[in-house]
Amino acid sequence: MNLMEKHQDKLRLATIILFCLLNIGFGLYAWQMPMLIGGAAGMVYAAVATAGVLHHSARPAEAPLTLSAPAIATEQPAAPNDTESLVRRMLTQSRHALLLRKQVVGNLHEDQFQETCEQLHAHMALVPEGDVVLGKTDKDAEDELGGLPSAMAERRMHVNPLFLDRYTVTNRQYYEFVDAGGYRDMTLWEPKLWAAVLDLVDQTGQPGPAFWQNGRYLPGTEDLPVVGVSWYEAQACARWMGKRLPTDAEWVKAACWPVATGEVAMVQRRFPWGDGLDRSRANLWGSGPNRIVAVTEFPTSASVGGIYQMVGNVWEWSANDFHLSPHQTYGGGDAPLKSIRGGAFDTYFDNQATCQFESGEYPLSRRHNIGFRCAIGTCDLVLDLPQGAPEDHANVELAECEAVHA
Amino acid sequence: MTLRALQPMKSSELAEWTLPVLCYVCEAANSREAEYCRRCSAPMALAHQALGQTARPKMVAILGPSGSGKTVYLGMLMDMLSRQPERLQIVARGAFSIGLQQTTVSALARCEFPAKTSTEPESWNWMHCEIHRKETVVASEPPSFLSRFARFTPRKQRTAVTNKSPCVELVMPDMAGEAILEEVEHPQTYLLVRSLLRNSSAVLLLLDASELSRGQRDPDFAAMKILSCLKELEIQGGAGRKSRRSVALVFTKADQVEGCRENPEGFADTYATGAWQYCRQGFRDYAFFAASVVGGCTWLEVRGEGRRRIPLRIEPHGIIEPFEWILEKLYPQGGP
Repeated sequence: MNLMEKHQDKLRLATIILFCLLNIGFGLYAWQMPMLIGGAAGMVYAAVATAGVLHHSARPAEAPLTLSAPAIATEQPAAPNDTESLVRRMLTQSRHALLLRKQVVGNLHEDQFQETCEQLHAHMALVPEGDVVLGKTDKDAEDELGGLPSAMAERRMHVNPLFLDRYTVTNRQYYEFVDAGGYRDMTLWEPKLWAAVLDLVDQTGQPGPAFWQNGRYLPGTEDLPVVGVSWYEAQACARWMGKRLPTDAEWVKAACWPVATGEVAMVQRRFPWGDGLDRSRANLWGSGPNRIVAVTEFPTSASVGGIYQMVGNVWEWSANDFHLSPHQTYGGGDAPLKSIRGGAFDTYFDNQATCQFESGEYPLSRRHNIGFRCAIGTCDLVLDLPQGAPEDHANVELAECEAVHA
Repeated sequence: MTLRALQPMKSSELAEWTLPVLCYVCEAANSREAEYCRRCSAPMALAHQALGQTARPKMVAILGPSGSGKTVYLGMLMDMLSRQPERLQIVARGAFSIGLQQTTVSALARCEFPAKTSTEPESWNWMHCEIHRKETVVASEPPSFLSRFARFTPRKQRTAVTNKSPCVELVMPDMAGEAILEEVEHPQTYLLVRSLLRNSSAVLLLLDASELSRGQRDPDFAAMKILSCLKELEIQGGAGRKSRRSVALVFTKADQVEGCRENPEGFADTYATGAWQYCRQGFRDYAFFAASVVGGCTWLEVRGEGRRRIPLRIEPHGIIEPFEWILEKLYPQGGP
């Protein structure tokens, strides 16, 4: 807050007093009726304004701060007390995770809470807590890594329980983000990227994925995974939904579904459905129509947890940087790559479409075959409706919750 | 190098061994046991395979400067056609024709590029393959009453009829880019390259699109030199006439260049102006294509080995189309 804003109440009071004095001075002469009337009006205004200033001054300094401006700047907001329509709209926008945040959930009625939970479970699958080994775990890798147990111990990571999207984010879902002004709301984007956001446009120069036109997806592609989005766009959309991108360990755990068979040893699947590449279950080079298909196709591709198309169709952005093998480093000069996983419709080799295979891409690349799915830790959600008196965090207005980002 | 094997003492077979065998590429006479042509160093296995055939296999030259992706293109082409034989079916003739496919695919699957092709002609890989083109023809008989009910429709009408064109044979060498340009600039340095440039029926000219898009003119100049040489070797003293040799100009690494894959001719007009003009003025049949094999690349620093470029994943695009176009030009009727 600058100096003018800080003292604006005092300035306004001084201006009003000066105006009244001038009017009274003119009124004493009484040879101009309009001036008298003006003087009287000025005095009335001064009285009202003074009362207002005093009221403002009486506001306690420790009053709760309002959150930043709502994320949706373009659409007409629901009436302030119309919680029902606001919840409905957010559920339509697949923002169930945002409604279940602990800062927000206290505003929901029981039936709204139940409906939100149902949508969460319909759209996202629970990945249980446990360990996962990242990197190659097959026999060939043992030689490369110089002994499996130690190498596995080094790459063994613990994953906290989380929810992961059952399907990759579709064009239709991403349009909700674009339509809600996601590309204009700078709070969703990392500050270092603000200059680049203006350049994230579609084929017609409108904000949106690289292969859209006029700010919309092409007809007939609404259920296809959104592609042509950079890592930053994926991250911003996930934030808007109240979620985040999954880490490598989370993604691999959801796909491989590891089972610990000893203190160190783990059994992990090569593909979400088992150890063998069944080409009828994945949209890869030579096994599909040589193009991206809808997220609901290849229904037998599901992992144990019920997550679809983790292998094939489109690569998926991960939250982490791309890792080369422990003995290799980047040659310098290039910016760090972000990890992508799962293979795409044009992935040629079977060994590059396994759950463990990791590829990399520049975070600003907007490729034809890279999409994303979102995750959220269970610790960030309230899955039981709080009973009794609302806590302090429940005071947050629901209309403001749209600005709560991960 | 010669083959040493004990021959049975049969006069008829011994007589055969005295007859010279003409090199398939330069047509120089060689002894029967020679492994490589004594003049141009082409493998004599090509000549032996062509001996008993009625139609002589045609040669397609895969040309381009060093690093333009000739080895990767050729290896992937063979592998893709053998894995997905819907449109074209390819059968390698001889074990030596599978070597290039094997080394290329093995390296790419490990996320490595194949080793750089040596400038020694004897170490070059050759592909001699049979190709069957499949043409799908839908039955044109008028629909009968029964055809309204698919269950009762005669099988002949319900399914498309697949015609198999006669088999054609092609020979394609994987030459080193340095050797190609050396021969183009200094004739008679590599006799094998010269013979191939003269005798090839069609040309696949590969240029690195990523280099061109960065404003580097060297690939364009190299293409102009090669095209100039091709035209001179075909039309001796016939200035002004256009070459009848088909040229497919393929921009490789197109995944790294925005817009190249969608409009390769426009890319040529903008970034490879010299080659584009040369094609227009010097050749009757030419076409532009964009191809890519790798989905992403990065530089890798390996301890003790230095810095090298590695592919991050393999996503081939536009590999088969130029080859199909060449085949169409060579065999418009489907076969020899």
